[in-house]
Amino acid sequence: MSVKEFQKKTCSILDGSEFSRLSKFIEFFIVTIVILNVLVIILESVPEINSVYSESFYVFELFSVGIFTLEYILRVWSYGVKYKKTEGGSWKGRKEYIFSFYGLIDFFATAPFYLQLLFPAADLRFLRVFRLLRIFKLSRYNSALQDLGEAVVAERESFYSALFLLLISCLLFSSLIYIVEGGVQPEVLGSIPLAMKWFIMTIVGGWGNVDPTTALGSVLIIITQLIAIMLAAILTGVVATAYNAQVTRREAQYESLVREVLADGIVDEDEQKELDFLKQKFGMSDEQVELIAEQVRVENQEKEEKAQLEKQKG
Amino acid sequence: MITRQRLFEILDGSSKDAAGRVCEVVIISVVLLNVLAVLLDSVPEIHLKYQQFFASFELLSVIFFTCEYFLRVWAYGSKYDKKKGGSWKGRKEYLFSFYGLIDFVATMPYYLQFLFPGMDMRILRVLRMLRILKLTHYNSALQDLFMAIIAEKRAFGSAVFLVSIATIVSASLMYFAEGSLQPEYFSSIPQSIYWAVITISTGYGNVEPVTTIGWFIAALTGFTGVCMAAILTGIVASSFSNQSARKRAAFESQLKLVLVDEIVDDSEKRTLRMLQQKYRISDGEVKEMLSNLTNGKITEL
Repeated sequence: MSVKEFQKKTCSILDGSEFSRLSKFIEFFIVTIVILNVLVIILESVPEINSVYSESFYVFELFSVGIFTLEYILRVWSYGVKYKKTEGGSWKGRKEYIFSFYGLIDFFATAPFYLQLLFPAADLRFLRVFRLLRIFKLSRYNSALQDLGEAVVAERESFYSALFLLLISCLLFSSLIYIVEGGVQPEVLGSIPLAMKWFIMTIVGGWGNVDPTTALGSVLIIITQLIAIMLAAILTGVVATAYNAQVTRREAQYESLVREVLADGIVDEDEQKELDFLKQKFGMSDEQVELIAEQVRVENQEKEEKAQLEKQKG
Repeated sequence: MITRQRLFEILDGSSKDAAGRVCEVVIISVVLLNVLAVLLDSVPEIHLKYQQFFASFELLSVIFFTCEYFLRVWAYGSKYDKKKGGSWKGRKEYLFSFYGLIDFVATMPYYLQFLFPGMDMRILRVLRMLRILKLTHYNSALQDLFMAIIAEKRAFGSAVFLVSIATIVSASLMYFAEGSLQPEYFSSIPQSIYWAVITISTGYGNVEPVTTIGWFIAALTGFTGVCMAAILTGIVASSFSNQSARKRAAFESQLKLVLVDEIVDDSEKRTLRMLQQKYRISDGEVKEMLSNLTNGKITEL
């Protein structure tokens, strides 16, 4: 196997476009290491456990940093094959990866370890927070977070309006409650920032820990609580619509592929591979796929029967 | 004399006559009375006063349910005839079905106390509560729910994934921010997870943060909780509605195929009925589709 081929193979395994035993195994291996890392971060924070196992935790950290570094280097190197010379050359694919969401996560989840090695004297405990980023490596293998991001981007207009509504009502109602109750309860509503704290607590939990003392104050509190309910409803509606649109778009894309594949009535190996890839990419269930295939098959059958009927008549 | 076949039909609910209905009503009433008894028995004053009555009621119900269980096992032998697998196929199917297991677990532990006289009786009381699940024989809501969850396991998986990430991240951040200041609440990440779960689910945690950063993390976690509820509802609702839309489309294309020659013969009718049941499409919807496709010429299957 030449270097070029090896690079290509590495790329297809790492970016998930290949389905083989090997790629499944590598995926499983990385996911396991990431989950173990999260577990270790959690356990390490318990003083009793840490005092007993701190050595093995450190060894495990060394091991995982080694794995993640290897993974990062292999990714950067192999993603060079993504574009041909005419399309931008090997550095285009690499740059794309390095500055993508996952590339940044991969980098910042691992790099702080080396920083600590370089400056052993410095107190870099706050860098431990970066280790938490490793949990986001999982989202490469579960599309939920990605789907959510896509859905939010697709419906950004609605999200902007929801946020705008929230911001306006936050400013308005915290100022109002400050004017109405600020003098009576200076310890909780004595300034507008304090009142904003009350507003956020009310929006998030339905109760801001403040009892109204005036009639106007209780009206304001009730209206704020109603806004909290409305906001939840708006968010739910927007997310549901966004997801719906996403699933419909994907199903339509899959359906058109099925139509293409079934046009000649035969599904050959390459076509089956393509279908499987799309199914995996979109995370569609077996039942969903079956229903779509069944529908297209029945529609084709219907067309045939209609044509036959026409022929008989003609 | 009642034959085994007749008994099977009565117990299975496939006979819609008076005997079947009486059997249904009797079993449902005994189950409801049992649930009521478990509830009342947990009130100390009532327990003291009517202890004897509850004990004998329990004995009677156990005898009743045991008879029901063995009759079912015997009668379900008639489900398949010899050609299709014989009487043990139907019995095995019942024994290992959801209902069969419920029937067993809800009744049989009672006899354990004769085998192990010293055992802790509280566990028995919990298992008695399982009898309420016997009602699912007669109402498909629970079964529908399970089927729907299984069909949408991916959407649920995504939701669980998002919630776990949100919980772990906010718990760890809070631990880093306030672990040294409020060691009684945030001394370790596992302990902070408790706070994170409460904050995400109710919007307001059991601990007031003392630092500004901590307060921002708390507000953000609470807001994440609101968003999580929205996301979960959104994902689940949209995947349910998508699933049913997809099924309707598949049924409609089948309907179109059948209607090409404008006649619906018996075998086609049977296929459509089967599909209708499989896809859980209501009669009203089928009627609507039919009259739409045929311009009102055919309105009934």
